[in-house]
Amino acid sequence: MQININNKSFSAQEGETVLDVAKRNGIYIPTLCYHVKTGQAAKCRACVVAVEGMRGYQTACNLSVREGMNINTEGKEVKEAQRMVVDLMLSSGYHNCLACDRSGSCELQDACYHLGIEKTTFSDHPTGRKDESSEFIVIDYDKCIKCGRCVAACNHSVVNEVLGFGFRGLETTIMCDDDIPMGDSTCVQCGECVQLCPTGALTDKKSRGKGRFLEFEKVDTTCPYCGVGCQLTLHVDRAKNKVVRVTGREVWPNNGMLCVKGRYGFEFHDSPKRLQYPMIKKNGKHERATWDEALDLIAEKIKTTVAKHGPDVFSALGSGRITNENNYAVQKFTRAVIKTNNVDHCARTCHAPTVAGLAHAFGSGAATNSIDEILETDLIFVIGSNMTEAHPVASYYVKRAAQNGSKLIVCDPRRVDIAHWSDLYVPLRVGTDVPFLNGLMNEILKNGWQDEEFMKNNTENPEDIKKWIQDYPVEKASEISGVPVEQMKQVAKMLGEAKKVSVIYCLGITEHTTGTDNVKTIANLQMILGHLGKRGCGVNPLRGQNNVQGACDMGALPNVFHNYQSCMDEKAILKIEKDWGVTGLSRTEGYKLPTMLHKATQGETKILFCVGDNTVQTEPNTAKTIKEVESLEFLVVVDIFPNMTTEYADVILPDVCFNEDDGTYSNLDRRVQFLRKAVDHPGEAKPTWWIMQELGKRLGVDLKFTSANATWEDMRRSGTIMGGITYERIQHLGLQWPCPTVQHPGTPILHMNGKFTRGKGLFSHTNYRTQAELPDKDYPFILSTGRRLWHYHTGTQTRNSVGLENIFPEELLEISPVDAKKMKVKTGDMVKATSRRGTITLKAWVTDRSPEGVTWCAFHFREAHANVLTIDAYDDVTETPEYKACAIKIEKVREGVEVVNRGFRQARP
Amino acid sequence: MSKGEKCSCGDDEKGLLERLEEIIVSFKNKPGALIPVLQATQSLFGYVPQEAILKISEMLNEPLHKVHGVITFYSFFSLKPRGKYLIRVCLGTACYVQGANEILTALKQQLSIEIGETTTDKLFTLDVGRCFGACGLAPIIMVNDDVHQFVKPSGVKKILGAYKKHKAVNQEEET
Ligand code: SF4
Ligand code: SF4
Ligand code: SF4
Ligand code: FES
Ligand code: FES
Repeated sequence: MQININNKSFSAQEGETVLDVAKRNGIYIPTLCYHVKTGQAAKCRACVVAVEGMRGYQTACNLSVREGMNINTEGKEVKEAQRMVVDLMLSSGYHNCLACDRSGSCELQDACYHLGIEKTTFSDHPTGRKDESSEFIVIDYDKCIKCGRCVAACNHSVVNEVLGFGFRGLETTIMCDDDIPMGDSTCVQCGECVQLCPTGALTDKKSRGKGRFLEFEKVDTTCPYCGVGCQLTLHVDRAKNKVVRVTGREVWPNNGMLCVKGRYGFEFHDSPKRLQYPMIKKNGKHERATWDEALDLIAEKIKTTVAKHGPDVFSALGSGRITNENNYAVQKFTRAVIKTNNVDHCARTCHAPTVAGLAHAFGSGAATNSIDEILETDLIFVIGSNMTEAHPVASYYVKRAAQNGSKLIVCDPRRVDIAHWSDLYVPLRVGTDVPFLNGLMNEILKNGWQDEEFMKNNTENPEDIKKWIQDYPVEKASEISGVPVEQMKQVAKMLGEAKKVSVIYCLGITEHTTGTDNVKTIANLQMILGHLGKRGCGVNPLRGQNNVQGACDMGALPNVFHNYQSCMDEKAILKIEKDWGVTGLSRTEGYKLPTMLHKATQGETKILFCVGDNTVQTEPNTAKTIKEVESLEFLVVVDIFPNMTTEYADVILPDVCFNEDDGTYSNLDRRVQFLRKAVDHPGEAKPTWWIMQELGKRLGVDLKFTSANATWEDMRRSGTIMGGITYERIQHLGLQWPCPTVQHPGTPILHMNGKFTRGKGLFSHTNYRTQAELPDKDYPFILSTGRRLWHYHTGTQTRNSVGLENIFPEELLEISPVDAKKMKVKTGDMVKATSRRGTITLKAWVTDRSPEGVTWCAFHFREAHANVLTIDAYDDVTETPEYKACAIKIEKVREGVEVVNRGFRQARP
Repeated sequence: MSKGEKCSCGDDEKGLLERLEEIIVSFKNKPGALIPVLQATQSLFGYVPQEAILKISEMLNEPLHKVHGVITFYSFFSLKPRGKYLIRVCLGTACYVQGANEILTALKQQLSIEIGETTTDKLFTLDVGRCFGACGLAPIIMVNDDVHQFVKPSGVKKILGAYKKHKAVNQEEET
């Protein structure tokens, strides 16, 4: 249809508002309460326009277009009406733009500018009321125009439900929780409210006084923390070579939203603790060396050792935290130069069972669907995922879907925070996922809720699984899992009746000795229900680190080259040999990470080349890991910070970090996203691809890594799933693989219409096996481990960024109220946790997140980290350690200051 | 309550909190439970203590801000202990001009409390308001639903006395 704005004709679509059309055509209408994300509040009335035939003024933000409408946005009276509103807003607060951090990006300021308001005609009443209690956000009440965007954002965008309006009339004010200081409230400091506030009422504390928005260079990039892969903009102070602020980009996958790490955990890049120069260990001490000295030494060591003992004494580790290019560089070096397949990375410790299990069932070891589809599903089935902490932005979508009426079932031994938004919380016993899920399938089949068509047409062995699952009646499953029969039936019914089910899982599924079986069982469930290859469905593992998907894709795995081309398949090997221009690639599968380490004590691994892994702190049973690392002949560590592993290194090489070089990360929904160089690296740090190139050269092979882009292109030559993804195409938005050609739009959903990558889906028989170490008289508690909202990995990034450590300064052992009462332990008391492998001393946190008999802590803090206690028992297929279950005992060491738990839904006491 | 602080309620309030839990359980899973639960809380305690807000939020699975928002939206609810009689002094323009401030001062002196506080015998709570819509009778004060017009500072004592006596009479009747 056509509408007229200021006597000019514009085309418009049904359902659009006048504001939409005006915006699209560059006509400015001031809007203060409206925002695409928080919707039409029609509160501020700054957007008033005149419409022919309508009485009074209309608010453009919620005025639907009609054919032939005549709208006036700039007549004298209209402007006067807008001016009046904005003037009133200005006057009911205290707006001193001269010293406001928001200046230059303030929508109130913009409105004044466009309306020619130089100064309010009403009087200013500064009350001076400010809330500076929180770590990262300042509330300046004098600048609040009560537009409600922050309240809408907090409640309906990120769904943290902290901010609200309190009191009445003139006294109406935004408040946190029950009107307490933000720093004491349940606010998780995600900063969404700051990003959407149109004025200087909510601002970032960190960037205060560091300069105004316009003064900084803006560099779009990808978050260096979790696998959600949020898109963000770094605001860079060029002269100081510093990032001073981070904002979220309003694009997929995050739509502007971030979590506290992504938004406020950025200073690590210029921490003085960064590794800056190569170091060589001499007489037990690390001494600064030149790159030539360090690289020559490594090359020489490799040459002599491999010549004497063969290539398999060399092992290399890529990382889920470094770029695709760098992972590719590590694997190509290992395979093409050393001629061994001994390359692996930390997916081994987290999602290797996902890769193995899903590849077995579907033919492709990755999430089948995309994050945005969460909002379109009918039932979200979350199992083994503490997503509000480990994948915060993914959890926002899940919470929002639940708020909009999707059903949410959360299954977890711990009452993880996402359970507060669920329709049904199912507490199953630790490590009983297989029998629990089998019981559900039995019930589904018994009631005929399965998708018979799908099973018949798209799976290989439907009759076989139907017969086999008869061994798992709900009663039996209930007895093992501890979930009441009635509740199991209820879950089965909900699953059976929902039109679209999306299963989301994480490490609670994979980090068990039965990890691969757990994943296969989830695949079975979704194949029985037929919820695959459609929008809003699928099996969706939340990949942990920023690039753990990419590290797998790039072939930092002992059994596949990049893009999952098998390195035991002669045809694939010949192709790669041709691509790379080398011969004699190894034909045998390489060692997995734990095997590399075990072999060290037997003298069969002599050199470990470790990039971005911090093996000593991340592998289970630290005492054992240390022994293994010590028995290596030669350890090279490439990293950005000194850590527990660099201490054992013979050579340390300084790496660049996420904003010091170009590159790509692949997120949890297979989206290859771009990273840009934004600042200069410290000292002599170098990208890993450069290091591999230099070492290759010294060992007689030109690996062709002349830049990040050249490295990517070298990988891309082999075509297949990444063939169509170029740097040029992903400058603005990522692309989801498979994307075989440069015309291909990417693939949001795998196995479309039930056409699995492997042809037909494959059901597996999975049986209940108990965890490796059960609690007993001496070690009566189960210890489970995981991640905190406020920290990441071994803390090198988050603990070197200002503020996160103030919020969460040390590790806590989560204990159930029942157990705590028995042991007379309260939150804040010091306790000693001991397993058969070691002891740590830390503070207790008594919380009903933990069920009786189960305790929990993370591995972020080297002073007291979980892996001293965890058990070196592994999944039989993938060698993924059982981080989620070992046995410990607890003794109280001394009383601490009592801490009162404030409410619930909080990621800290 | 900020971290480290102890709960400020007395023992008897602990007993009341337990009763509140029972009430919340009886309303749980019913839509729109929040307002009736808050009403019950207000009559149980005479106000809505912070411990009760936490409890209600947790048990009804409602965000804290929502509970608090409802409490502060309706004048029926109060966050502080409230006396039997709520005295509200109008400070609107008309009343102010007619000397409302002096009346306020007199009330403060006689009751020995500040605005928003309650006397130790829990009889009176002092509050202020803006224009009660009866400017022709200024200055005015309201005691619960009773309007007192053309009040003079010297008349305050008598007004208070009447309510005190009322209370005494009632008590006699009750015993
Ligand atoms: S703080 Fe900002 S977003 Fe929130 S109501 Fe005030 S002006 Fe609006
Ligand atoms: S920072 Fe996030 S959680 Fe905190 S008030 Fe703002 S939107 Fe809500
Ligand atoms: S959710 Fe993950 S990717 Fe997004 S900002 Fe947080 S850590 Fe970064
Ligand atoms: S933007 Fe339209 S009423 Fe506020
Ligand atoms: S000013 Fe007091 S009643 Fe209007």
